[in-house]
Amino acid sequence: MTTASLDVQTLSVQFSGLMALDQLSLRLAEGEILGLIGPNGSGKTTCVNAITGQVPIARGQISLKGQSLSGLTPREIALAGVMRSFQIVRLFDDLSVQENVEISTLVRGTRRLEAHKKSRSLLEMFGLWDRAEDLAGDLSYGQKRRVEIARALIANPHFLLLDEPAAGMNEQESADLMTLLSDLPKAYGLGLLIIDHDMHLITQLCHRVHVIASGQTIAEGSAAEVIQDPAVISAYLGTAPGEGDKRGA
Amino acid sequence: MNMSYFLRRHWLTLAFLTGCVVLLAGGASLIGDRLMERVTINLCINIVLVMGLQVFMGNSGILSFAHIGFMGVGAYSAALFTIPSQMKNMALPELYPVLAGLSLDPLLAILVGGLIAAVIAALVSYPLMRLSDAAAVITSFALLVVLHTVMLHWSEVTNGPRTLFGLPKYTGLLLAASAAVLAIWVGMIFKESRIGLLLRASRSDEIAAAAIGSNIPQMRWMAFILGAFLAGIGGGLWGHFITSFAPKAFFLKETFVILGMLIIGGPRTVSGAVMGTLIVTGTFEGLRTVENGLNRAELFSGQVIGLTEIVLALAMIAVLILRPGGLFPAREIGTLITLRAKGKRMNSSV
Repeated sequence: MTTASLDVQTLSVQFSGLMALDQLSLRLAEGEILGLIGPNGSGKTTCVNAITGQVPIARGQISLKGQSLSGLTPREIALAGVMRSFQIVRLFDDLSVQENVEISTLVRGTRRLEAHKKSRSLLEMFGLWDRAEDLAGDLSYGQKRRVEIARALIANPHFLLLDEPAAGMNEQESADLMTLLSDLPKAYGLGLLIIDHDMHLITQLCHRVHVIASGQTIAEGSAAEVIQDPAVISAYLGTAPGEGDKRGA
Repeated sequence: MNMSYFLRRHWLTLAFLTGCVVLLAGGASLIGDRLMERVTINLCINIVLVMGLQVFMGNSGILSFAHIGFMGVGAYSAALFTIPSQMKNMALPELYPVLAGLSLDPLLAILVGGLIAAVIAALVSYPLMRLSDAAAVITSFALLVVLHTVMLHWSEVTNGPRTLFGLPKYTGLLLAASAAVLAIWVGMIFKESRIGLLLRASRSDEIAAAAIGSNIPQMRWMAFILGAFLAGIGGGLWGHFITSFAPKAFFLKETFVILGMLIIGGPRTVSGAVMGTLIVTGTFEGLRTVENGLNRAELFSGQVIGLTEIVLALAMIAVLILRPGGLFPAREIGTLITLRAKGKRMNSSV
């Protein structure tokens, strides 16, 4: 096993009696795009929240390149190189678009002028340079999503966890985002974990897909493999095709 | 911070706000009216105090009641160094012998007063900086009560609830205006600094700020210390302007006035802090004249007292309902002027 990975081992998260994640294990390597899918309430966002320290873990181990992240604060995990976006976009609405992006590198000690240059090139890449001086709160939802990703990227993370990055985007915006995301692992040498309900995006983008239901892994493999997995079909549709017939027989 | 980058972005705001102070102070000096001069000095000291509050409250989004307590710390500390030795026997009869011989130039004493306020703020505030929302506000109020109680009962140093007198009259128009301009610049530089930006981000979304790696309690702590330093300086300036004061000057009434100035102007911007101070001070003086006029005319059976406070309270309520972010809620005045000019240019080119 290479050490350049984000490892989640037998992770359990409990919310007052409800087991939100139950012995979940997954691994994300640098340069890889991993899709994390599952029905609503399956624990995808909780998994990202647990990795980034936003919710306490009950059991299990999370490690980054062999170093344990368990028990660290969100701030320490971010500084260790794990950045994220949120399911409901969380920008600093009364800062400008450019400030929203450059702030992530300023926190790591980059000088203001250098941060300004870096943020400019990222905003150009995301097609948002013309809105750089606008307040982030004035952007459209799709634009806010892109700013949130740019804010994470400027920190040069080892791993980037994106929670429904294409939510709220139209078809064209979603396609543009897909092109952008597909280049990131190579360009930045990072591992990308993507949660999304858009199966087209997941199948086109992800090298591997991890499927969870009720906080447990039910399948993993390539996109082509998992969408044919009876457990996955059952989790999404209630029963796998043919399964109901067998039961009835 | 890269100063040329900072100046390029904010020169217009700084020029405008500095210009306002210089014009007012210059005007008061040229006219030579004593009342106007007093009002302008008071206004400039208020700018220093409001900027101190803005540095913390405006950037972190946490309301602090403790601020005026640090103004008191600055005023009393500076006084210890400037009341002449012979006078100390009368002004502070119970003063510790070790402090009786302290003497400094008033300007230096005012600076030392600010530093002492900052050191005390640094020592007492760190655990409070982890708190947010109502808990943070209540603890800051508790801190004000602690500081006020110490001032009220530490007779050896403050003369207890009695008036402390004997400070030399040192704060004039030039010193007050210079301090106001410096406070504006310090506030603006801090707001645009790395720490200021991170603090403003945490004000907007604490969870997202932590998720990018920001150490929020530490940023708040630094802002609190700087705010206390400015409050201490403001206290020292005020003490050496008024020359005698008691602990009650550093409690709820003053807190309310300073808070009113910031909230009406807009706590998130330096422009809001300064313009709020100008508007409220101007309105106060106007209302005071009205109050005096009404009393002289004897239109009512009793004296009209408290009109200024009532109007300030109503103005605060109105601003919070109609324009919750204050008169300058998000953008500095220079940015607003630039955007308006850009908009006009674009419209005329269409």
